[in-house]
Amino acid sequence: MIETQTESNPQKWKGIFLILFGTLIFTFFLSLTLGSVSIPLSDVLSSLFGKTGNDIWERIIIDFRIPKALTAILAGSALAISGLQMQTLFRNPLAGPFILGISSGGGLGVAIVIFLGIWLGGFIELSEFGRSWFLVFASAFGSFMVLGIVLIASFRVRSSVSLLIIGLMFGSAVSAIVSILQYFSRAENIQAYVIWSFGSLGSLSWQELYIMIPILVLSLLASFLLSKPLNLMLLGEDYAESSGLNLRKSRTLVIINTSLLAGTVTAFCGPIAFIGLAIPHIGRMLFNTTNHLLLTPIVILLGAILLLIFDIIAQLPGSESTLPINAITSLFGAPFVIWLILRKSNVNYRF
Amino acid sequence: MRILITLVVFCISCQPKKTETTPTDYLGLSYATTFDIISEDQEYMLINTEPWPKATEKREFAIKNPLKRVVCTSTSHLPYFEMLGSEDVVVGFPEAKYISSQVFLDRVESGQIVDLGNAQSMNMELLIALEPEAVIAFDSGGESNTLDKIEKLGIPVIYNSDFLEQTPLGRAEYIKFFGALVGKERKADSLFKEIEKRYEALVRVTRNLKEKPTILSGTTYGDTWFLPGGKNWAAIFFEDAGGNYLWKESEASGWLELSFEATYEKANDADYWIGLSTFETMDGLKGQDNRYTNFKAFQEGNVFNYHKRKGPNGGFDFFESGYSRPDLILSDLTKILHPELLPDYETVYFQQLP
Repeated sequence: MIETQTESNPQKWKGIFLILFGTLIFTFFLSLTLGSVSIPLSDVLSSLFGKTGNDIWERIIIDFRIPKALTAILAGSALAISGLQMQTLFRNPLAGPFILGISSGGGLGVAIVIFLGIWLGGFIELSEFGRSWFLVFASAFGSFMVLGIVLIASFRVRSSVSLLIIGLMFGSAVSAIVSILQYFSRAENIQAYVIWSFGSLGSLSWQELYIMIPILVLSLLASFLLSKPLNLMLLGEDYAESSGLNLRKSRTLVIINTSLLAGTVTAFCGPIAFIGLAIPHIGRMLFNTTNHLLLTPIVILLGAILLLIFDIIAQLPGSESTLPINAITSLFGAPFVIWLILRKSNVNYRF
Repeated sequence: MRILITLVVFCISCQPKKTETTPTDYLGLSYATTFDIISEDQEYMLINTEPWPKATEKREFAIKNPLKRVVCTSTSHLPYFEMLGSEDVVVGFPEAKYISSQVFLDRVESGQIVDLGNAQSMNMELLIALEPEAVIAFDSGGESNTLDKIEKLGIPVIYNSDFLEQTPLGRAEYIKFFGALVGKERKADSLFKEIEKRYEALVRVTRNLKEKPTILSGTTYGDTWFLPGGKNWAAIFFEDAGGNYLWKESEASGWLELSFEATYEKANDADYWIGLSTFETMDGLKGQDNRYTNFKAFQEGNVFNYHKRKGPNGGFDFFESGYSRPDLILSDLTKILHPELLPDYETVYFQQLP
């Protein structure tokens, strides 16, 4: 399908995808090899295939590094693709996965659980889920509440700009509630919230991944189906409608899909900044295309590769400490984007 | 601001001395390094040598008469008043709902202690109306606007930096700080001697033990495992209780921030896991991260936390009265690690996670 839609030779694109996919596999293995505990490559490989003399290393690879690497791959792809779709939907280069208040909503859910935790404590103890699930549900609930409100608004307003502003307003209002909760909280609770907001890729165990993987994989597949409508939207809302696109339906689907992606990642990993905003730009600049049929796989692969690399940096291989992933994504990502823009002297794609 | 503080301190200290000069013998300090008490005639001079972390200046407070009305800002200040029998000196407290001590909760209930609202921004009008002789404050982060404002209002702020003391007995010696403030320095001294005696007696027994079980501590927040550094208050307790804290070699007096896998590699076969933030059940622990079950201490159920005594609003009494009673904490830990040494002892703060 891709070959028939490409503007230039399909051979070139095949090569590009092969290279990107190879890089992804390479970074995946690199990320399994590098960590606080130094484990020789031979032991990494043998624990993957279930035979190693060292039980502890095997546990570390299977219970820590593989889940973390998979989380990075999925979270990176999901955020990048939802950023791409939001930018096209709103035809705004500054849009990102959280532009409609998804992460603020998630933050509010988490803040309520953490800050009112003293009263909810008994309830959490009773539930079989334990705390991490409680945070996941709180965040997902917050995100999807905001999504619901934005969707209702989207039926009432026609223009995407109005919807964008409504989303921003919701985000600000929700953040304000979080500030009020923080003001009345004790230092320990504020710290717990701040740590949540740093984002985390390594705190997911297999139990959580079993839930997160299917949701994200299905949503990522759905993103491919949305590529054509998004290509049409790129030409302008009027043009899209006149060429037979049901704009309202496509818009709703895009909002639901991106929110599902961004909301799920936020629920499990906290708000991870930068990836969603920057990867689509990196994809467009590196490969000089705005065609979603090509950009969708490119952005998925780039998001996965870059978040894996950022996570390797955040682990500070060889040292026992780690850095918060959110700081690393922006710290190392921003100069890269700036360098790309300066090199191309101008961002020459239009929305 | 600084000039004003200096002036206030200076004016307090340059008051004419009392004429009746019965020499008081100086009850020295043996462990604490963050404060000092100098006695001249009947007067005491309380000196904060390190009022806040990395402080570059000392602060002095002259005690002419025992204080009758003070406002405290940390629950860890309250037990000293209770031990000294001076509960009535405390007239105000911010966020009183977090207090664990029933004595003080009753006093809040009956209005003898006024709740001053949010700890970060105390209600100034209520504070002024209380007319306290001093506010006993703590400052863990350098500069504090609220405390500066209080001093501007003419209410002296006395810094309590017990949390900067590295040793359990150094923290407990703060009872002498409060003793000097309320004019019960002799009582404070004898109470401290009792605690010290009990603490030292236990250490004499545990010091020569051959079997020292290994200890893991802390839990993860996000991606990071927070655990006490080797020179931390908690780590010293572990050593003194006859344990082998796995990070005892670290030079940090604060907290270590490690990755989960680094902690797992070092402590997967630790015998005991002691001190886990707010976890109260094994299920809760497993619920936060299933990988906790890989630790030997988890599998064998040797997981202990300091949640045995809680206030009615969920505050852990460990954080309120623990600083003042290192002898009890040490007995608890010794009972956990070496139950044969204290067969009839019932732990006060610590308990096994069900």
